Amino acid sequence: MTPECERVMDCLDGPLPPDLAAHAAGCEDCRALLEGFHALAPPVGGRAPSPMGSHLREAAPRQEALLLHEAAPRHDAPLLHEAAPSHEGPPLQEGAPRSDAPPINEAKLEETRRKSLTELAAAPLPTPWWRDVLVLLVTYLVVGAVGLAVVGRHGMLLNSAPSYVVAGVALLIVAGVGGGALLGLAPGRRRWPLGVVALGAGGVALAQLAGRSGVEARPFLTGTLGCLGTEVVLSVVPLALALVLLCRSAYQPVRALAAGLSSAGVGMLVLHVHCPDGAADHLMLGHLLPWMALAGVAVFIRSRLPSRTFAP
Amino acid sequence: MPALPEAAGGSDEVLMERFCQGDAPAFDALFQRYARPIQGYLSRLTGSPATAEDLTQLTFLSLVRARGRFQEGARVRPWLYAIATNAARDHARRHRRPEDLTPEGELPLTAVADTPEPRDAGLERAVHRALEQLPEGQRVPILMHRFEGLGFAEIAEALGLTESAVKVRAHRGYARLRELLAPLHQETAE
Repeated sequence: MTPECERVMDCLDGPLPPDLAAHAAGCEDCRALLEGFHALAPPVGGRAPSPMGSHLREAAPRQEALLLHEAAPRHDAPLLHEAAPSHEGPPLQEGAPRSDAPPINEAKLEETRRKSLTELAAAPLPTPWWRDVLVLLVTYLVVGAVGLAVVGRHGMLLNSAPSYVVAGVALLIVAGVGGGALLGLAPGRRRWPLGVVALGAGGVALAQLAGRSGVEARPFLTGTLGCLGTEVVLSVVPLALALVLLCRSAYQPVRALAAGLSSAGVGMLVLHVHCPDGAADHLMLGHLLPWMALAGVAVFIRSRLPSRTFAP
Repeated sequence: MPALPEAAGGSDEVLMERFCQGDAPAFDALFQRYARPIQGYLSRLTGSPATAEDLTQLTFLSLVRARGRFQEGARVRPWLYAIATNAARDHARRHRRPEDLTPEGELPLTAVADTPEPRDAGLERAVHRALEQLPEGQRVPILMHRFEGLGFAEIAEALGLTESAVKVRAHRGYARLRELLAPLHQETAE
């Protein structure tokens, strides 16, 4: 699409300026656009201006018969539309489809209004979104602290890698946990691509593997199953809370994945600083695999939970 | 519905601000301003007025419950349409059944309409069918733009996309509609 084509799109609801009309006449893309646009609901009886130049208009097929709104049953006068202020969108034309919306069930609409007002009266002041993030982060902190105190009763910091490496990786996990919570619960104007979340998770995983001590302190199976179980147990409360909070907005798999990685990251952080085993296979199967599996479980469960609201 | 309240004169954003502080008349004004357009949009999006009624209710209940997620500086109309679109998507996701799938195993874009046949039903169906054949990514921007009067910037805000991405989708959708409706054009021309 050229810049001129974009300008044509911006002018779809009115007559095209001469320079754009000339462009549209010679541009196959713009012709397709204009004809498709008017195929849905063309101007009625010449009341609304045609955005096509006269040279294009001649070539345009007869469209009157394709009026979607002509076929739709008319509802009573659109009082609500009249009350609406001017919007920033394209101005509505006479005969434009919006004024001929499908029939409205007034009783159901009144019920909707009544229910909404009841809900508003029950909770006049809104809960700011950041409070949910704060609650989740505080929960992470408590679960992490209690978890470390319990599993580390015979020694908290048993990771034998250099302390600056342990601290660096731990900070990365903390950043991932915080960022995931924010990404999962904060209202965003743009949708985050799955690739960004996957890249972040991959970075955290690689950092753990790169910062491993290489020590094998326990038998492989015992150590791996022990860490796996600990991580799952430590993730139950954060994951459950994250799921409850996720239901307060519309379901988006990327959000659920971010929140899942974040909540399962608490257990992984505890294991990172506490676990004396630093072999790559132990880290992959005992620390990273359950982390990713729990995030997958979070997405799966969230997709099946009903949303309390559909706000973005 | 009752007559428009005094608050009806304010801009959406002013009303939203007051509504966020618990002002019921401000909500009422927003409701009266947008209830019908939202229901019309949902009706077109789902193909079922009955479903649209339920989803409109969910949309406005969401507006009340999630008003703490409305960000300062954002516009109300795109936000409301985003909620409505999310509600419709969720409904489609939860109510799909194996027998509803297309021969290719894909989710159909809309449910079968449950309204009585209007006059010019054949033409109506043809246009609906053409719209239904568009992928959701093209159909939603076209419904918002052509039928709801939203600008591309507003649609981008509602869908969480860039304005350019929305324009590309709408452009492809309109071009595809021309192709799909070409046979009908020829018939009517004859």
